[in-house]
Amino acid sequence: MSNAVDSGHRLAHEMGFISRLRRIAAMRETALVLIILALFIAMSFASPYFLTWLNMRAMAMAFAVEGIVVVGMCVLLISGGIDLSVGSIVTFSMVLAGWLFLQGVDPWTASAIAIVACAAVGAAMGYCVTKIGLHHFIVSLAFMVIFRGVCLLITQGRPLGLFTLPAEFKFIGQGSIGAIPVVIILFFVIVVAFDFLLRRSTVFRKVFYTGSNEKAAAYSGIRTKKVIFLSTVLCSTMCGIAGVIYMARFSSAPPYFGLGMELNVIAAVVIGGASLQGGTGTILGAILGVILLSVVTSSLALLDVSSYWQDIIRGSILLIAVIFDHYMNKKKAAS
Amino acid sequence: MKYVNLKSLVASAVMALSLSSVTAISADAGESKFACEPGETYIMNVMVSGHPYWVPVFQGYKQAGEAMGCKVIFSGTPDYDITKQIASFEQDLAKRPAGILLHPMNADPFIEPINRAIEGGTTVVTFAADSPKSNRVSYITSDNLAEAKYAADEIAGLMDHKGKFAVLENPGQSNHDLRITAFLSYMEKHYPNMKLVGRQATNQDATKAYTSVSSMLQAHPDLGALWIPEAGSAEGAVQAVLEAKAKVIIMHADISPVTREHIKAGNIHQALSPNQGMQGYMGFMLTFMAKHPDLIDPFNDYKRTGFNPMGVPFVDNGFAVVTKANADDFDLGAYMKNRSAN
Repeated sequence: MSNAVDSGHRLAHEMGFISRLRRIAAMRETALVLIILALFIAMSFASPYFLTWLNMRAMAMAFAVEGIVVVGMCVLLISGGIDLSVGSIVTFSMVLAGWLFLQGVDPWTASAIAIVACAAVGAAMGYCVTKIGLHHFIVSLAFMVIFRGVCLLITQGRPLGLFTLPAEFKFIGQGSIGAIPVVIILFFVIVVAFDFLLRRSTVFRKVFYTGSNEKAAAYSGIRTKKVIFLSTVLCSTMCGIAGVIYMARFSSAPPYFGLGMELNVIAAVVIGGASLQGGTGTILGAILGVILLSVVTSSLALLDVSSYWQDIIRGSILLIAVIFDHYMNKKKAAS
Repeated sequence: MKYVNLKSLVASAVMALSLSSVTAISADAGESKFACEPGETYIMNVMVSGHPYWVPVFQGYKQAGEAMGCKVIFSGTPDYDITKQIASFEQDLAKRPAGILLHPMNADPFIEPINRAIEGGTTVVTFAADSPKSNRVSYITSDNLAEAKYAADEIAGLMDHKGKFAVLENPGQSNHDLRITAFLSYMEKHYPNMKLVGRQATNQDATKAYTSVSSMLQAHPDLGALWIPEAGSAEGAVQAVLEAKAKVIIMHADISPVTREHIKAGNIHQALSPNQGMQGYMGFMLTFMAKHPDLIDPFNDYKRTGFNPMGVPFVDNGFAVVTKANADDFDLGAYMKNRSAN
């Protein structure tokens, strides 16, 4: 009798293990990790420079700060929104903090003001979406244009030279702890924190429910407008943080910074498994999407492939990801 | 072809010839130091890599590099995006090249990457735009002040030293800024009856330039002249002038296949084209020399202070005035026939 129970438990345990394995195998993150690993292996044979610290650093530095914006965009896309203004808001953060610094404000205070200002911009966008009832796409498009203009107005069209920023402030953009750049550490901390929150926190689960089916979520007692509002504010705040880090990294605030950033960021999140319809996505997936794009760009550069191919290949990866999503959604709906 | 600053061009040519002679002589002796080790690689990194301006520059770079047995690579980003250019620069560094000839989109953001490259053993020389606060070894460009002075004298002369003029600009790119600020201050100082009525940032964008110039012509139908620091904006500006059927003297720096056609058609008065071939050729020589400072033992304090004895702060590659008469000599398509772009 006890033998039968034991073997029953074992069978149930094995079945559970197998189903967990199946679930992991079906996850977008697993596919991305495998693709990235395959690229790493192939490239380590193709180029002697690929698996070097210098190249790993170059790849990480290329996506680290943009990756912080990706985190914000990922949460917003899951909630069912979208933000086309990220490039302009990142630039606004740089320009505002830089301008305040040049007016004599301490750079830390200037940065804090800039981040709060970006959060306020997000709140204004969120208000237009949730209170007035406008679509995120149009609202963020308008804010993209408005804040590019604000940046030009503040700078009078010229990059602000911030070479005199104090060394301790530049450290967040240019310094290293041991061999690891501070930018990468900041990126890592933000990613881990938000990935944990999105998976474990009940507050962030509401983002998924709202994005999956706003009406159903509202009927179940979730204040969906508040969720969408806060997701919009979060995305703009992340832009503010990224802008301040960029300013410290480049010692400059050019008004034309971040043109086209929204496309890179949205592409990374979608490749990482987030749906443009909302309701699905993970921070890990989005970051793997950014890493994949960065590894592809790096590989092509190391193989001396013309830079024109990079856009074609990145666009193709995005298209494949969207087609894959479409196929999976249809399959899910059919079952 | 009318070269304005023959002096500097001749100096550059003499320098190049001297180096070539040394190469040849030493090669005969079988122990040339003016040659690369196997695999020694030099990269030219730019932004907006599809711009035709880079093509003759890279041809010059390649001709010098290949003559010395070096590997040369064209690199950069197709976008007008500082993060992408810095990412491409850092990617280049991962290949551990001997040197990079760099056109930095903005000066200050490149300070740290350039300094890190030099610390890592890759020499960096800037061309056509500079990062003066970095530790780059040399900077090669055409004399932007001379270009601005020439353009101001030409425009004022054609307008009998009186009338309205406007400028388009591309703030933040050092060479373009110089072309504009020097032009305006020279005009103000030498031609007080010439009145500036428009100054618009069009950032190398033909569409923006078209819109800006159309608006300027609405506000000032008697606009007499336009000075533009690059060819992209000139393409849009000339279209606006043609559609308005206005009579505006257009002068611009650099040259593109489109503006060359407009010069031939008489729609653009002149273009001031930096000598791109020499910019690339001498750019390579400067980068190579900076990588091989042991080739020289100069009479100065370089050993005590540790600066690169091959460092030349500034080299002028000269510029040409492109007119209706010589525009055919600037046909990029004809030049590139039977040449490889990479």
